[in-house]
Amino acid sequence: MTHSILQVNDLMIGYEKALTPALNFSVGPGEILVVVGDSGCGKSTLLSTLAGVNPPLGGEILLDGKNLSGVPIHKRKIGLVFQEPLLFPHLSLIDNIGYALRAGGESRNAARTRATELLDWVGLSELAGQKTWQLSGGQAGRVALARAIAAQPAVLLLDEPYSALDPETRLRLLADVKNLVTNEGIPTIHVTHDRSEADLLATRTLTW
Amino acid sequence: MLGEFTNSTLWQIALLAFGQAFLSVGLSLLIGIPIARVLFTYHFRGRGFILALVTVPFVLPTVVVALGFRSLFGDAIPNGLLLVVLAHAYINIAVVVRLVGAQWATLDPRMEVTAATLGANPFRVFTTITLPSLRNSIVLAASVVFIFSFSSLGIVVVLGDGSSTRTLEQVLLRSTSVLLDFPAAFAAAILQLVVVSLVFVISAQLSRDEPRATVVLERKQISGRKPIIFVTLTCLVAVIVVLSPIASILWSSISSSGGFTLQWWSDLANTSNIRIGSPIDALVRSLGLALGTAVISAILGGAIAIAVMSKKGFVVTLALIPLGISAVTLGLGILLAFSRGSLDLRGTGALIPITHALIAVPIVVAVATPSLRNVDPRRYFVALSLGAAPMRAWWTAFGTVFGGVMLAAGGLAAAVSLGEFGAATLLSRTDAPTVPVQIARLLGKPGESEFATAAVLSVILIIISMTLLLIVDRIASRKVFT
Repeated sequence: MTHSILQVNDLMIGYEKALTPALNFSVGPGEILVVVGDSGCGKSTLLSTLAGVNPPLGGEILLDGKNLSGVPIHKRKIGLVFQEPLLFPHLSLIDNIGYALRAGGESRNAARTRATELLDWVGLSELAGQKTWQLSGGQAGRVALARAIAAQPAVLLLDEPYSALDPETRLRLLADVKNLVTNEGIPTIHVTHDRSEADLLATRTLTW
Repeated sequence: MLGEFTNSTLWQIALLAFGQAFLSVGLSLLIGIPIARVLFTYHFRGRGFILALVTVPFVLPTVVVALGFRSLFGDAIPNGLLLVVLAHAYINIAVVVRLVGAQWATLDPRMEVTAATLGANPFRVFTTITLPSLRNSIVLAASVVFIFSFSSLGIVVVLGDGSSTRTLEQVLLRSTSVLLDFPAAFAAAILQLVVVSLVFVISAQLSRDEPRATVVLERKQISGRKPIIFVTLTCLVAVIVVLSPIASILWSSISSSGGFTLQWWSDLANTSNIRIGSPIDALVRSLGLALGTAVISAILGGAIAIAVMSKKGFVVTLALIPLGISAVTLGLGILLAFSRGSLDLRGTGALIPITHALIAVPIVVAVATPSLRNVDPRRYFVALSLGAAPMRAWWTAFGTVFGGVMLAAGGLAAAVSLGEFGAATLLSRTDAPTVPVQIARLLGKPGESEFATAAVLSVILIIISMTLLLIVDRIASRKVFT
């Protein structure tokens, strides 16, 4: 259970030119902030900026009161799940999920044990020996979520995940996300162009 | 002949060549991979120019590269393993940059971002995500560089020390042209062929069986201080590395111990240096051979390309087999095939263009087949339905592309012939050398004028090769070609 709070003060995002007015919001434990907006309005840029991929044009990002300015991506403890699962094709499913644990210094065995638990948690333990490209879109999406959770992120960012999947699978996966965030208490920001997702997930909604 | 395989010297040389090729692969990858990253993942002004520039060493004749290194380092680095490995890495930068870069361009950069958000530091991201994702292209590039370096001839003849840098190709050449020891030559050829085949097999085994991404992603703009420094430094190093040996050759051709001079250029027409043959004669001879090679390769390669254009991949692979056989081995095969009875062509001067064509035909097929396959075959049936005879219909559908491809392929074949050294050394008559053979002979003689004349000939070869490749590039970039 995490108790982190992400706070954004007067944040300006974009490349050379600001894409939005200055942003101010915060997300706390168990909250899901859903940002709804059309394509190209800066939703993904917001997540990239929070994760440290793009530098902000102004303002500050605070995690538990600590300014993240200058903190590199790998030290932010902010998980990011993209629209596509982006599983590492050269690694097994178990090693994909255990990647964060190995990067954090865990032994191979410990990482595999925890990854096996998480694979079981997403209901895919029978697929442990499969190659990543043999999975269906829904299965790959679940593995990507398990991989992000294995890193024990302080904040989880979801960039329209599962939007390429069929509506039924997408709704099922989003329900999984909601359960997870509620159970683990991970502050989450989910961006989407689909307002129905906000109705399903959001504890708060930000519309652009 | 089997007894030759018990000769320990042969195995020793194979082992030395193996070690040398291994080091050459390591250095080529070390230099080529950062350049591939910069040129294939970033978008910046001058990118195309630097990509063209790093391709230059690969198309230069090997003896010209060797002369460039000799001229650049002088006595600072004596002939030997270090100089040979440096020259091999120089030639093969383009192989690594092009092959690895092409795969890098298809890698989704968000994969690295994902790894970083999972807590991996930049070094870990590079070693656990980026490099393994590039594995297939790195394995392929390493195999190609290994084969080139293992069967190297021009570089080791000019820059080697005669002991630690020997290759089987050298043994093959010496056994056939000096010692006339054909069993030893066959043993060296077979051993070399076995090693090359093994490298292909191991390379296929090491390549990962996974779906290949083919979508080339948009290259990113450079933003941030670290990427700017990385891109600038890498480009600077690439430009300096590529241009230094070429500049050094150019300087050697216009300087003497007394300073700047154009004497070596004006002396070119003099035939006083008769003991190693007239440079102008060699130049005319090489150009004639290149033209012959271009014509034979375009006709043969064009016919094969038409025959295999609708066939499966392995048929095309069959046509590419000669690429894996060394030039001297091919030359030896041609010499033996055309030295008896009515097929005795030894006195006709046809052996070199035939051998060069054998080297160039696979290149022509590799260039022409994909272009012909890109043409919509329905054009042919449309022409037939409009009343054209089959030949005319074929020409209407494929003629424009075919003509362009043959011109480009002929140009490539001519460039290959101009720079080829191994087979030309074996097949040239002593009094009728080609330019690369002439350059190697000049470098084997002491004296300032010999060295400078070699530099002048090298500059001429560089200019002709680059002009041919620019023309090929221009034809290849025309719309009808794609």
